[in-house]
Amino acid sequence: MKFRLEWLGQYLPGDLPDLATLRRRLTDVGFIVEGTEGEGKDAVLEVELTANRPDGMNHRGLAREAACALGRAFRDVPAPAPPEGPAAASSLAAVTIEAPDLCSRYSARVVEGLRVREASAAVQERLRGLGMNPILAPVDATNHVLWDIGQPLHAFDLDTLAKKADGLPAIVVRRARSGETLVTLDGVERTLSPEDLVIADAEKPVALAGVMGGLATAITPSTTRVLLESAHFTATAVRKTARRHGMHTDASHRFERGTDPETTLEALDRVTALLLADCGGTVARGVIDAHGTPRPRKSVTLRHARLVSFLGMEVPLERCVEILSSLAFGVREAAPGVLEVSVPTWRVDVEQECDLIEEVIRVVGYAALPETLPHPYNPTWSEPVLAREERARDLLAAAGFAEACTYSFVSAEENSPFASCVDGTPPVVSNALGEPFTTMRSTPVVGLLRAARHNVRRGLGDLALFEVGRSYALVEGRPVESRRAAILLRGRRGVHWASEARPADFHDGSGVVAALFAGFGAPAPAFRPAALPFLAPGRSAEVVVDGKVVGWVGVLSGTLAAEWDLGEVVAADVDLAAIPVPPPPSSVEMPSRFPGSEVDLTVTHPFSLSWDTLAAAVRAGAPSELLSVDAKYLWRGAGVPEGHVKTTLTVAFGSAERSLERDEINRWRDDAARRLLAVPGTAVDGIA
Amino acid sequence: MSSAPFSVEEARGLLDAELADAAGRGGLLPADVHELKVRWLGKKQGVVTALLARLKEVPKEEKAAFGAGVNALKQEVEARLDALEAEATARAAARAEAAKAVDVTLPPRVPPVGRLHPLTVVRRRIEHVFHGLGYEVADGPEIETDWYNFESLNFAPDHPARDSVDTFFVEGGGTGRDALLLRTHTSPVQMRTMEGRRPPIRVLCPGRVYRKDDIDPRHSPVFHQMEGLVVDEGITFAHLRGTLSAFAKSFFGGRAEVRLAPTFFPFVEPGVDCAVSCVFCETGCRICSYSGWIEIMGAGMVHPNVLANAGIDPERFTGFAFGMGIDRIAMLLHGIPDLRLLFENDVRFLDRTWG
Ligand SMILES: [Zn+2]
Repeated sequence: MKFRLEWLGQYLPGDLPDLATLRRRLTDVGFIVEGTEGEGKDAVLEVELTANRPDGMNHRGLAREAACALGRAFRDVPAPAPPEGPAAASSLAAVTIEAPDLCSRYSARVVEGLRVREASAAVQERLRGLGMNPILAPVDATNHVLWDIGQPLHAFDLDTLAKKADGLPAIVVRRARSGETLVTLDGVERTLSPEDLVIADAEKPVALAGVMGGLATAITPSTTRVLLESAHFTATAVRKTARRHGMHTDASHRFERGTDPETTLEALDRVTALLLADCGGTVARGVIDAHGTPRPRKSVTLRHARLVSFLGMEVPLERCVEILSSLAFGVREAAPGVLEVSVPTWRVDVEQECDLIEEVIRVVGYAALPETLPHPYNPTWSEPVLAREERARDLLAAAGFAEACTYSFVSAEENSPFASCVDGTPPVVSNALGEPFTTMRSTPVVGLLRAARHNVRRGLGDLALFEVGRSYALVEGRPVESRRAAILLRGRRGVHWASEARPADFHDGSGVVAALFAGFGAPAPAFRPAALPFLAPGRSAEVVVDGKVVGWVGVLSGTLAAEWDLGEVVAADVDLAAIPVPPPPSSVEMPSRFPGSEVDLTVTHPFSLSWDTLAAAVRAGAPSELLSVDAKYLWRGAGVPEGHVKTTLTVAFGSAERSLERDEINRWRDDAARRLLAVPGTAVDGIA
Repeated sequence: MSSAPFSVEEARGLLDAELADAAGRGGLLPADVHELKVRWLGKKQGVVTALLARLKEVPKEEKAAFGAGVNALKQEVEARLDALEAEATARAAARAEAAKAVDVTLPPRVPPVGRLHPLTVVRRRIEHVFHGLGYEVADGPEIETDWYNFESLNFAPDHPARDSVDTFFVEGGGTGRDALLLRTHTSPVQMRTMEGRRPPIRVLCPGRVYRKDDIDPRHSPVFHQMEGLVVDEGITFAHLRGTLSAFAKSFFGGRAEVRLAPTFFPFVEPGVDCAVSCVFCETGCRICSYSGWIEIMGAGMVHPNVLANAGIDPERFTGFAFGMGIDRIAMLLHGIPDLRLLFENDVRFLDRTWG
């Protein structure tokens, strides 16, 4: 927002303040001066104003802050009442407030016999200095008052307002009726609703209250009689109206943030003086001053002891009084150390004691605050889900994966094949930036696929990525966010000149999932064949813990791989919360000092017979000395019947108490072999 | 092979000649030495055995001297051949090693080296500093209600303060305070923490937040915040300044200073912008826009309305809160030129150690 130095200076008796000092001090007290243009009286300051300080959005208001910040005097510019003619304003127009909760005051003056001209050079220069183009004197005069003291005004051509039964042109402040329309000054026809606050004449809306006037009642070069509006509208009423119509004007900007209900008469005097000077005419006698629900005057108690304990520093009581007084607060010491502070009507932001404390400290300056620390505090709690996420990140990075960070929303199309990854429906952003940002992902894998495509397109085809993040769903209207560890593998594994690289396959994926569980100290999960719509049939599995599905792993389906233009991709997604993490060990037994023994068993079996079945057969009924069953070698091809696999198992035995005898190991091996043979369809080498 | 020698001297001469010949050929291997041992020391046809067999042909008075000479020869042969054998064994071992030699300058077989994302690393660095100051870490949902994201935090409905926060809404929520949205800051976690626990509270709230910004080098509709909240009896504005200063010194280095400036956030009063003195320059640089200061966070004293909304008596308890953008700090620290790099996941970008 732009401010002219000369205009500010009008309220600061004496020499114009030094521009650099003014810039620094205004910034110190919360009015950030982002830049200045020009020098001397024509210098312009560009100031960033926070939403809570509409009172600073005019030259008088900002000058008051400047005076306080600079420690200088502030002097208001008087606005004498204009000379009045014999005709009473109340005999020329009537004002009715039908929505008293939305309009606390509507003040109006009537000027007759004017000739619309251009505004004076002084007014034009000021408006140009703020980057505005002068239009006609009545409009420029209202703008001048807005930028001078912050009261938005509007000028109606009185002769265009429809009359009531008593013959008087009418101003009615009311809610719009359904279906009413209004062509605003910008030429747009707007359909109104009862949410809108309007100014109407006897028949129809003539302005969107506090936002913009209507075209039909606007001042034209031939206008001779005007009604000047100076009102206070409720902030939310103007905001709702402006938002509903997607409008934003200098007037609405101020009304939405809150204007001073006590400034309507003064603003009328100022604008009338300008109008008379530029356009002549006769001012009707008196002001039409209608009242809605009055705004209560605010008074706030400031306890000096509270101020000191809240700030953690001493500010003398007299200094507090001085600062508040210079900002036009009324200060009275109601009891020792207790100030009864009346709040200026323009300070819509001040409601409570802490607001007054801020007034004091921002003028004292934050540089004066000591740097102290709160007393020591011993944390006794940590968020378990975050600890899990952090551990998963470390485990996956240690497993050689690079951590990715992808957007939580993806396109509806990208997400839809994965929608079954979580219960419920994918949340949809109702005002998204468009695709691909509409749909909250059902799995972070969708983001990883985007990341993979980015890299593959740049010739980086060997990928091992993970993301620990959330998946999102709505379950019966309630958002559910689950914490996932997602991985993606693509391209070659083990690339080195000394040996041939191999493509990432299903077992790399299940291996990472197993490593994740192992890293948490959890028992290995089961991998159960599954038909998932986004994975290749025969190379996809659900990750199962205690009979419950907690994730999936597999090769991306050929259709999706082609759509993503990625070739073969292995991916997995595990619900971190479902990993059964045991507590750390509380006691540890000594490892056996007797070496164990391994024996091999080779079994030919149908491909449909899973490893889990074979391993279970070996384990069932095995002696307690059985340590492990592992797959050593698989062969499909020459020498093995069609549809069959030859699997060599390594079975390890060992004891904590003794060395094992060769005979007993052989016996256990033979027993295991017979159990394997008992599985239908198997043949075991060396056993008939 | 010539016929067996007739005398010890002749045999010694023969030995010298044969060993000289072998040395001349160079590089005897253990098998060669074994052959020599058989020829000279073999129990049946060895030269020394053959020489000893002549003893019966030697005149009686010469027998003793002859026998002693043969024995001396035998010992000499054994010693010389043992030495040769040791040499040959060492030579063979050296040849075997040489056959296994590699070019040590060839590219090594590097196991996969995983990486943490810079946002993870920077977040942990920030958390580490605050862990030292006694902070716990809290967590909350990203799909929030209007109440937790705005209204409970003193953003009145239809208040212009909401204009500064472009919000994504989620279909399927309720209306008013029950509307669903993507949280625009992690402050709802502060509110939930205050509801769930009584003071003293000292927490960090890291997490993903959303604002309706188009993607460009400095904006992203998804980014990451780290907020902090302290609520207790006797918490002061000076504590806030001291805490931010302690953080700045730990994180940016001991000479970092903080500067507070008044600003407005609905959930704090007073609200401040916090800048840190530029640690990248002495006299001004591009990073600090030649001002010597870098704005890194917003902060303030928790608004009494917010405490009251959480059921905490604002007369008895006071608190402060602060919030910073993890993405922005990562960009500052590591000179990352474009915010999009953090979300594109180009492996050439990710394949770094971020500290
Ligand atoms: Zn710098």
